[in-house]
Amino acid sequence: MAEFSALLTAKAEWKPHQIAKAGDLATLASAATALAETVKSTLSLASAGMEVVKLLATLQNINPLLMALDALADEVLKQIQDLKEAGYWYLYVDPYYEGNVTPTQKYNYGFEQLRNKAGKRIWEINDGSGNWSDTADIPTLAQLNEEKAKPHYTSPRKLIPGGYDRDNPLQDPLRSSADGGASKFPTFTTKEVIKEFVKAFDDEGDVPRYKLLGAVSDAPKAGEVVYDDDGNAFTGWDPKVDFGLELFDMGQASEDGSIVKNYVAARKALNSKQSVGKPNILGNTEFVGGSGAIAIIIGSHDFQSFYDVFNQFSKMFSDIPEFASDTGKNLLDALTEIVTPNPVTVKLTQVDTKYQSFVVGDIIGGKIYNSIGEITEIVEGSVVPTSMIGRKAVGDTDDEGMITTVMQDFNMNETERWIDMEVIVNPIRNIDGLNPWITGDMVLEMEKRGESGNPEIQDDVFPNYVFKGQDTTELPKASRIYPKVAIVAMEKLMVLPDSTPPDFGGIKIKDIVPGWGEFFQILENFVLQLKGMISDSSAFIQDMIDMIKQVEAFLEYMIKLIDEFLKFFQITLPSQGVYALYIPNQNGGNEGIQSELKNATGIPDLGYAAGLLFVGTEGDKLIAGGGSKNPIDLLALVLGLL
Amino acid sequence: MAEENKWKEAELRRDDIKKLLENTKQLAEMYSEIIGIKKAGWENVLRSREKRAEKEKQNG
Repeated sequence: MAEFSALLTAKAEWKPHQIAKAGDLATLASAATALAETVKSTLSLASAGMEVVKLLATLQNINPLLMALDALADEVLKQIQDLKEAGYWYLYVDPYYEGNVTPTQKYNYGFEQLRNKAGKRIWEINDGSGNWSDTADIPTLAQLNEEKAKPHYTSPRKLIPGGYDRDNPLQDPLRSSADGGASKFPTFTTKEVIKEFVKAFDDEGDVPRYKLLGAVSDAPKAGEVVYDDDGNAFTGWDPKVDFGLELFDMGQASEDGSIVKNYVAARKALNSKQSVGKPNILGNTEFVGGSGAIAIIIGSHDFQSFYDVFNQFSKMFSDIPEFASDTGKNLLDALTEIVTPNPVTVKLTQVDTKYQSFVVGDIIGGKIYNSIGEITEIVEGSVVPTSMIGRKAVGDTDDEGMITTVMQDFNMNETERWIDMEVIVNPIRNIDGLNPWITGDMVLEMEKRGESGNPEIQDDVFPNYVFKGQDTTELPKASRIYPKVAIVAMEKLMVLPDSTPPDFGGIKIKDIVPGWGEFFQILENFVLQLKGMISDSSAFIQDMIDMIKQVEAFLEYMIKLIDEFLKFFQITLPSQGVYALYIPNQNGGNEGIQSELKNATGIPDLGYAAGLLFVGTEGDKLIAGGGSKNPIDLLALVLGLL
Repeated sequence: MAEENKWKEAELRRDDIKKLLENTKQLAEMYSEIIGIKKAGWENVLRSREKRAEKEKQNG
């Protein structure tokens, strides 16, 4: 219950994305250029120190290598430039983490119906002369309508998720989830993901917004000409109004009266981005022009497979903030918790030993709040008699026969029938999710009656637990079965368990790329030092050789590190469970993408799904090897969709 | 158009990262090779100087 209500939040939002962060890559790009140049100049200087005969031979060998190095540095630079230019919008449809969409409730609340040991529902049938008897045979709809048959409810009645459904009484709510039965996992289907993709383009409020930086009095006056990022002039400026694009003033560089030569260096930002908004061209979301998209859906008919694929997917896209694991609980943690919830410590009080004390392996459930769990440990030293102090009036007769009544405390638990204990419980998912242990709720022993989920899928079938003896409450006292019972004193917060390796923390692109920049920077510094040490002195030559040895060791380490990263990125995501739709650049703008998304076929409707949609708009420059002006085509290329 | 656009099960890759890593590795390897040659050059210079100094010493 708690989990589902937490999933009820706003909506999926558009965010900007670049294949690799431009800021980090810029460091790398400049370092790579410097490196290529320094290598050339240091080598020519170094050659001056060599003996003439050796030098000629060495230069012959080195020249092709030097040229290759140069070409390679150019290629890296070009690639980085391409990636820097490739900006996208992305939309993540996520029903499972901070839930920006709402998974549909696949169960109804209804009165709990008794079940026999095989898990079949028990019905009461009227024999025609007013006598009711129990049967596990499902009556006909006519019998139910004529009240010749009725479900045998538990006594007292209890409202549960997946209880008796008056609108669909013949079908068991716990039937296979493949037949529409209740699932223990929050379901969100592939079709629903596509619907969210399409819907996100219709959100009229989701437009880019830029707010004025600084005071209105400091900004250019209303009506003055302002400029966009490319230096194009715009009229209609008003400092009191929010605009949909980044705007600049010419800046103060023309203070001395000269003409502004470098508008990028001289300009002053007038506003800053508050929200990204849906895909747009210069703030216009209703544009008719080149746009393309790549939609990726992770979908599966069972939750475990969905979880496995999602795990790999999130590693692969860890440069998207939602998938990064650096800030507390991430998406994968949220899913892991659904599959294997963390154990909790529950303090129980008034455990009535008349009906036996709890032991490890007992399944217990909260009567009102529907929490369920298996006891895995009784905390050592926690079992103590419950302190139950009562007050009673005691009559004291004096010598004259006068009775004085006084109030006295007394131990209501003298025989130590009731005990307190702390138990560690592995929470079990109910149909409505994981429910908390609430102080004051009565805890009763439970037993299995039937199953829910899809029997054809591994790890998808869950026992259906009911309170032990609930089918005997209407029998004579001697025949009743009493479950073990206690009251929840409190749920103790548990220390979170350590994350299970492999931990992806160290292999994020965010971390790798600045690492590269640093690598080139260090390398460049080494080379610069080498250059400065050109001297005739033998002592300096030895220093130089030692330094080169250090650089060699550093390079070796770096190559090893790259190999490790490469090993990971060599892995392709298995095609099973990942569906992609590539919409190449088309001229219909956002509306065009919307209709392509609506009309695309070929995806099965799977129960558990989440999706990621990238949208790119056409720019002025050719990218992706000169084949397109839309970065989406570059993305399709690098993702292996072309 | 709708016929052209079909959802497909896809084996996603991250060739952007892979390619960048591969190129950087190649650059580092080549650079390593070049400074190796350079090191050999300086070692030669050092050795020949030592030899020369020794010869000069012997010749007195």
